[in-house]
Amino acid sequence: MVETKELLADPAIVEKIVGGDKEAFALLVERYQKGLINFIYHMVGHYEEAVELTQDVFIKVYVNIATYDKNFKFSTWLYRIASNCTIDHLRRRDPMAASLDERDEDDNLCIEPASHDLGPHDLLEQKQLEKEIVKSISELSPLQRELIVLRHIHYRSYEEIAKITSLPIGTVKNRIFRARKQLMERLRDKR
Amino acid sequence: MDNLREDAMRCKKVLELLSRFIENDFADEESAEIKAHIDKCEGCRKEYEAMKSLLDRLETIPLVCVPLSFKDAVMKHLPEKKDEDK
Ligand SMILES: [Zn+2]
Repeated sequence: MVETKELLADPAIVEKIVGGDKEAFALLVERYQKGLINFIYHMVGHYEEAVELTQDVFIKVYVNIATYDKNFKFSTWLYRIASNCTIDHLRRRDPMAASLDERDEDDNLCIEPASHDLGPHDLLEQKQLEKEIVKSISELSPLQRELIVLRHIHYRSYEEIAKITSLPIGTVKNRIFRARKQLMERLRDKR
Repeated sequence: MDNLREDAMRCKKVLELLSRFIENDFADEESAEIKAHIDKCEGCRKEYEAMKSLLDRLETIPLVCVPLSFKDAVMKHLPEKKDEDK
């Protein structure tokens, strides 16, 4: 019987890989590449850097796949590795800077088309606001940035964020609430 | 008597709780109290709307694309598995 591999649950795929089916890893890459690149992109603020780092994360995941504990959701484990790699990377890259000033002055960036029907004026206004929000996110501390991105761009639950960041759930909530307030203040400074 | 000061205190408190309030992270009673304040206090209401609209905006931030060759690049760079036994 032919197995429809695309329908396999994550733990079953992991089992295949651990059993030596290297090609099965492609299924996990397909499943999570978009989420991870976007997560890392908002963390490091640079597209090419994000792509490269995401590749490193997947390789690390592959190398350590046998240590995956099925009691966790696979995506939690994956994001945890991505989070550690990214924070390490940021520390190495700019040990002093808490914020990232030289973001891609984009435009050659490949961005998915927005689905709303807006007039050209509104569209411009919205683009400007989006830019300011992205910039404001980049000015948060790496941890605050991570919390905001996980919660509001990736819609992760507080429980999951707690597991990804190894923080108690109460701490996660408080820090997210504080990060939002800061984000709003930074945004206000720009308007 | 000290109504003004009391109001200012309440506003400060409500503003601190706003972010949690939006997430429905309060017991009904507390939540109703905050809501009642927001309904009648214009300053806090404005803050509330601003926060809500920020959170809505965050959800519409456009996503970047995955390079077409990404998966192949990852697969090509996977190291050979070491043998299980040492
Ligand atoms: Zn008030």
